[in-house]
Amino acid sequence: MGLHTLRLATVPLTFSTFTSRLFLKPIPPNTLQTLGQFSRHVHPRKPFLVRAFSASPAAVQEIPPTQASDSSAARPQWKASIDFKWIRDNKEAVEINIKNRNSNADLGGVIELYENMVNLQKEVEGIREERNNVAKKMKGKLEPSERERLVEEGKSLKESLVTLEEDLVKLQDELQQVARSIPNMTHPDVPVGGEDSSAIRKEVGSPREFSFPIKDHLQLGKDLDLIDFDSASEVSGSKFFYLKNEAVLLEMALLNWTLSEVMKKGFTPLTTPEIVRSSIVEKCGFQPRGDNTQVYSIDGTDQCLIGTAEIPVGGIHMDSILLESALPLKYIAFSHCFRTEAGAAGAATKGLYRVHQFSKAEMFVLCRPEDSETFHDELIQIEEDLFTSLGLHFKTLDMATADLGAPAYRKFDIEAWMPGLGRYGEISSASNCTDYQSRRLGIRYRPSEPVQTGSKKGKASLPATKFVHTLNATACAVPRMMVCLLENYQQDDGSVVIPEPLRPFMGGIEIIKPKLR
Amino acid sequence: MGLHTLRLATVPLTFTTSRLFLNPSPTLAFFSRHVQPRKPSFLLRAFSNSTAVQDTPLTQTSSDSSAARTQWKAAIDFKWIRDNKEAVEINIKNRNSNADLEAVLQLYENMVTLQKEVEGIREERNNVAKKMKGKLEPSERERLVEEGKNLKESLVTLEEDLMKLQDELQHVARSIPNMTHPDVPVGGEDSSAIRNEVGSPREFSFPIKDHLQLGKDLDLMDFDSAAEVSGSKFFYLKNEAVLLEMALLNWTLSEVMKKGFTPLTTPEIVRSSIVEKCGFQPRGDNTQVYSIDGTDQCLIGTAEIPVGGIHMDSILLESALPLKYIAFSHCFRTEAGAAGAAAKGLYRVHQFSKAEMFVLCRPEDSESFHNELIQIEEDLFTSLGLHFKTLDMATADLGAPAYRKFDIEAWMPGLGRFGEISSASNCTDYQSRRLGIRFRPSEPLQTGSKKGKANLPSTKFVHTLNATACAVPRMMVCLLENYQQEDGSVVVPETLRPFMGGIEVIKPKLR
Repeated sequence: MGLHTLRLATVPLTFSTFTSRLFLKPIPPNTLQTLGQFSRHVHPRKPFLVRAFSASPAAVQEIPPTQASDSSAARPQWKASIDFKWIRDNKEAVEINIKNRNSNADLGGVIELYENMVNLQKEVEGIREERNNVAKKMKGKLEPSERERLVEEGKSLKESLVTLEEDLVKLQDELQQVARSIPNMTHPDVPVGGEDSSAIRKEVGSPREFSFPIKDHLQLGKDLDLIDFDSASEVSGSKFFYLKNEAVLLEMALLNWTLSEVMKKGFTPLTTPEIVRSSIVEKCGFQPRGDNTQVYSIDGTDQCLIGTAEIPVGGIHMDSILLESALPLKYIAFSHCFRTEAGAAGAATKGLYRVHQFSKAEMFVLCRPEDSETFHDELIQIEEDLFTSLGLHFKTLDMATADLGAPAYRKFDIEAWMPGLGRYGEISSASNCTDYQSRRLGIRYRPSEPVQTGSKKGKASLPATKFVHTLNATACAVPRMMVCLLENYQQDDGSVVIPEPLRPFMGGIEIIKPKLR
Repeated sequence: MGLHTLRLATVPLTFTTSRLFLNPSPTLAFFSRHVQPRKPSFLLRAFSNSTAVQDTPLTQTSSDSSAARTQWKAAIDFKWIRDNKEAVEINIKNRNSNADLEAVLQLYENMVTLQKEVEGIREERNNVAKKMKGKLEPSERERLVEEGKNLKESLVTLEEDLMKLQDELQHVARSIPNMTHPDVPVGGEDSSAIRNEVGSPREFSFPIKDHLQLGKDLDLMDFDSAAEVSGSKFFYLKNEAVLLEMALLNWTLSEVMKKGFTPLTTPEIVRSSIVEKCGFQPRGDNTQVYSIDGTDQCLIGTAEIPVGGIHMDSILLESALPLKYIAFSHCFRTEAGAAGAAAKGLYRVHQFSKAEMFVLCRPEDSESFHNELIQIEEDLFTSLGLHFKTLDMATADLGAPAYRKFDIEAWMPGLGRFGEISSASNCTDYQSRRLGIRFRPSEPLQTGSKKGKANLPSTKFVHTLNATACAVPRMMVCLLENYQQEDGSVVVPETLRPFMGGIEVIKPKLR
């Protein structure tokens, strides 16, 4: 119980959705006692950019991470601020969306649990009121027998309250568990259907025509002594690799060039932790556990390896209230990414196309809700500009509903031509996640509009907070870029030409030639 | 049993300890699930006809073996240890090691005795088999059949005992440290000798900050968010710090490549056995190693591990040596047990970027490569304008694999002390005996070699060396603290500017 009430200190009093009302009971004393139990895990949260608001009782303060406790496996360790009232009031739209997204979310179950919870909540409130009345009556002068009766009544009310509150917590837990699988809503322009329904948004260039028999990147990598899969499979396992010689410089050049291009657009560069708490992975909408998880977990801790820098960057502003004037926050983050690739097999897994570990530069934006569509367009434009500069042939797709992950409101994928593999392959992805992640990560901002009238309880000087929107987009996933560059820029003599924009970042190397052995 | 006999297909017939293990391997089928034929590797094609190394299966987890069961075999030269007992004993004492030499020798003698017994019974069995080839009375044949059966049974029992003994010997023997270079000072940390000293501490005319304060004031690092997202001792780099990291790595790589080193990036998840073979302990309460849940894999603490693994179980051509690598990787360390002032800020962290040099060479060349490696380090840090000293680390400060180790400690004015920024170790054949990395000398044929393999000289273990070229966070501590200015800005050393888009100064940002 302590876990959840503490957690909900993050929901400010001014927060308007119905969900917050449910949790705004004062923290009972026993919770404060249990706090000591968790103090080992308590790191006071330094609120980023909220110093100006530190006097506000509503703002974020000292939220302990809801770390591993002895609670059962089914117990959620954190609470998503899902807007259940909105879901109930828009049941039909949500139902259709779930169907379109090919999701197995159980809307009926969610709504039923929610109604039960609201009823139970009312019951709890009723008993609390009765208890208050009893307490009020006992303040006056009373016959001893009458007092005794009231004491007895108060005791039995307290007992039922304890039971009901326990039930309520269980119900809330269950609701969280079931509701988390509900996907984000979908942009109205997104084509409805499976992969085949995805719409081409743009197409750049055309497939290069070769006058000689071409190799795939794996063969080129071997012939030019650039990639070593064989040793890596002995040392680490299949789908791991060493880069060698010019490939190392090419990776650095790709990342350097990408960072410098994206920084020109006002993005702040970051490197990130690659080990994170599992809860952060969950809050970003990924599943760190289960048989088919893509996530490597660390033995003996609640930590795991990131599959994308989106996770640690999403976590930077977790549980905080940003100033509107600080938005948008635009990051370009470099990290290594680790994926189990459970269940992946077949031709698409050849060589560098699908690997367990790779380098990636990822863009991440936090912005006001009204700006997220514009930033989505900006992100896809940046990607298209980057890949155009590298001379790739690619198309941008508006991904169909059934192809969207739960967090995405809309997703644009870029697929580039890979002549050696003889097909198009995904090289990047740009998603608008609207408030799906921010409701889980607890990232809000406080609008800087003038004070609204009629707000309550002496906090008139602060406008209500809103959830930010988050977006993420691949700027450069190194191995797939290498597939494109090696296969597209191969020459008759077995060499590979370096695209001009990368040459200054590679010490002027213009061509990768076969080595003398 | 298959595990060990298969393993020892890597030990060429000419190698002395191999005698002990050269029984045939009847249980291959049992492990075939785990057998991935080793591609006769790198530089070995010319020798693919050789009976030496071929199709060595990985000795991977054989699920039903007991925990104590060793999954791979170090080619430790027990005979040499026995014949040099006193020197080894003194070395163990000097290195402050808890290796149990007596137990090793006892187990070894037991094993040799048992091995002889096994050989004796095998011979008897062969004699019985030979006798049965001729024409015999039925009763005599029956007697021989019975005798053969008995012999086979005792053989099975003894072979099992032998295997257990070998496992135990491996287990106990692995803690014996490498021998030590005669010039290494004997004693604890205080006994380490200063080999070289460069520069002098910068004098500041203003109150100085440590790198943590500079990082905060210049918006270069975020430890607070990382503590929430990942845990303490993790960090984000921001703004110019990201560019500085890239510049450091780019510059280091380009400098070290000029010396003929091949650049690499490496896997950061490796099988635990590779970690062990490099001389690290991937398990136990105080391990520095993060393990992956539900697999036999773990995260690397240094690129030394995956680079050491590249040529595992292979025989290199002498003409291919030396192999010199400069490998970039992220490194992950639990830092179990680390605490106190030394743990402040970037000095001791769970994850960091590093460029590591690694050399494989002939035994007679390892000392000169050790000197080359420390020279490269000193040149790099001198170019960056650091004040540092090079230490010849004393015996008690050497890890088990090192024959000799040079550390560089640089002046960190904000922390107000010298701190280790790099380390260069000569591991001689300690790692190569575990990783199974040999070379075949290209000298002219020796006479008198046996069994038709007369045209191949015998193989030797390579020597391995490793040395930090750039451990980014500690370099950042040095650069930020040494190059801070009175106005709170930090000057970027000239050598790095071309790798940072020409940035000369990191200035406080307007917020």
